[in-house]
Amino acid sequence: MLKNKSKIIWIITVTSLFVGVTLFLLTPVSAHKKRHSAADMQAFDDAYMEVVKMGDALFHGGGPQDELGITLSKTGMACAMCHPFASDVHPHQFPKFQEQMSEVAGLREMINWCIEKPNEGVMIGIDSEAMVALEAYIMWSHKGTIIEPGTH
Amino acid sequence: MAKIHPDQQEMHKVLGGQKQKPDNTMSISRRTFLHKSIISGGVVGAATYGWWPLVNTIDIAHGASNLNFAWVSDTHLYPKTLNTRFVDKAVRAFKEVESMKPDFMIFGGDLAQKGDPEELKLGAQLLKAVTVKKVFIPGEHDWYLDMGALWTKEFGSSPWSFDLKGVHFVGLDTVSRAPDYWSAKNMSPKERMGHMEALDGSVAGPWAGLGQEQLKWLDTDLSGLNKSQPIVIFSHNPLYEYYPPWNFWVRDWREVHEIVRPYSNVTNIHGHTHQVLYNEIGSMRSIGMLATSWPWPYAPEGVPKLTKPHVRVDPGDPFDGVGWAKHRWSQQDRIDHDYMMWDRDVYADATWDSGTGDNPGLALRSRVVDKIWQYE
Ligand code: HEC
Ligand SMILES: [Fe+2]
Ligand SMILES: [Fe+2]
Repeated sequence: MLKNKSKIIWIITVTSLFVGVTLFLLTPVSAHKKRHSAADMQAFDDAYMEVVKMGDALFHGGGPQDELGITLSKTGMACAMCHPFASDVHPHQFPKFQEQMSEVAGLREMINWCIEKPNEGVMIGIDSEAMVALEAYIMWSHKGTIIEPGTH
Repeated sequence: MAKIHPDQQEMHKVLGGQKQKPDNTMSISRRTFLHKSIISGGVVGAATYGWWPLVNTIDIAHGASNLNFAWVSDTHLYPKTLNTRFVDKAVRAFKEVESMKPDFMIFGGDLAQKGDPEELKLGAQLLKAVTVKKVFIPGEHDWYLDMGALWTKEFGSSPWSFDLKGVHFVGLDTVSRAPDYWSAKNMSPKERMGHMEALDGSVAGPWAGLGQEQLKWLDTDLSGLNKSQPIVIFSHNPLYEYYPPWNFWVRDWREVHEIVRPYSNVTNIHGHTHQVLYNEIGSMRSIGMLATSWPWPYAPEGVPKLTKPHVRVDPGDPFDGVGWAKHRWSQQDRIDHDYMMWDRDVYADATWDSGTGDNPGLALRSRVVDKIWQYE
């Protein structure tokens, strides 16, 4: 009997926990749990494309470099002059072993390397607005490309 | 090469089906093209596979006497105060050409970066280091700030042609006839140049071409020649469709090929693409020259089948992947063509070394910023 009683208590506890958790999950406490309208999707895309556009401008030697306090190049050359349409940036190959650094590196590190070496510019923060924008533009240019990390 | 650009498909349709090839008495093998390309003449000589220094030189020996010429192009000079790298490389190329004392030097365009008077005058100054005969054709970077005014004043106008030791040389202007993309938008000269300057820009459109008048000129110029006379045509842009989205072509390539078709010994030497390239289309062979300034990636569609690509470039070394070219037309009626690439082996065997297959998924679409109408 005692055995049965504890079993019932156990069932009740588990059930209420389950119901509680389910209710918690169903309550719209975070934005992620809300259904998205077409307008929401458009707004997300607009925000994304704004960043892509900024990346495009930076990559072509313009953009808000002064406002952001960054210098991507001191030679007059922009990334796009050697990487038209972000070709030969190979975002789909990262992370990979990078001969220049003798280590496995990520795309952002290589972006900084190119800012410092061919461009003689000043490296930017790895999480900076400009870095995210450059990455956004480079990725956008390679949309649909098969990811092949580690290839040379 | 998964994709073929629609325009390239057309090229293959129009010219690929023909059995016509450049004169087959002038055999050229991919192997010999490695370091020495035999572009004209009967016997394929024993090519040497050593690496060259850094310039594009061409040595032509034809008939009884030898003929040498050097090609330098795409120096893309900035004012000295901004960038001395490109100045240093131009100086080096001109010095090497001068010490070689060729019969003449052709400067193949893109002397300046922004067509700025300061850049063009700096170029004219540096060019004084070369005392042999010099001939010039313009590049788009020299032209679109003042529509060629200063370029023409300093370096004369094109097209032109001359004969030297049995070879007929032609210099074309493939840059000055862009359809007007600036007037409707009220662009300033700087804005016009800015759009021309961007290789991946979409505003300047299909600017590379000869135009009707020059096509007629070419037709007339060649018409007096013996059909088998060696003809060398210099142009800034390639005279075929290598990659139209980057303007690695001329838009009127059909007409050009129509005109040269009757001649069996035509060699086109071009700049603009900043990379090692070789192609044979119809009766014409084309050789792409190195820039002295910086190298460009190979087109996403890959390279023409006959091209032995150059090796992947080290972005940390400004002297890598660039140079000039030397050509010699030898007694056996052949051209030895040498890429003079500074700092590096020129050719790659494996695709991982050339990087020709690196950009398979590259999106072919116009720049987002180009879609905004900025001129009200
Ligand atoms: C002077 C020419 C030049 C300029 C300017 C330049 N790069 Fe590069 N970059 C290169 C070359 C050449 C490579 C090597 C390409 C290869 O490995 O095939 C390269 C490689 C890279 C790579 C690594 C690709 C890989 O697979 O290893 C990244 C990322 C990159 N560049 C980003 C940039 C960015 C961002 C800028 C502008 C801040 C820039 N580059 C400016 C020439 C240049
Ligand atoms: Fe050029
Ligand atoms: Fe050019």
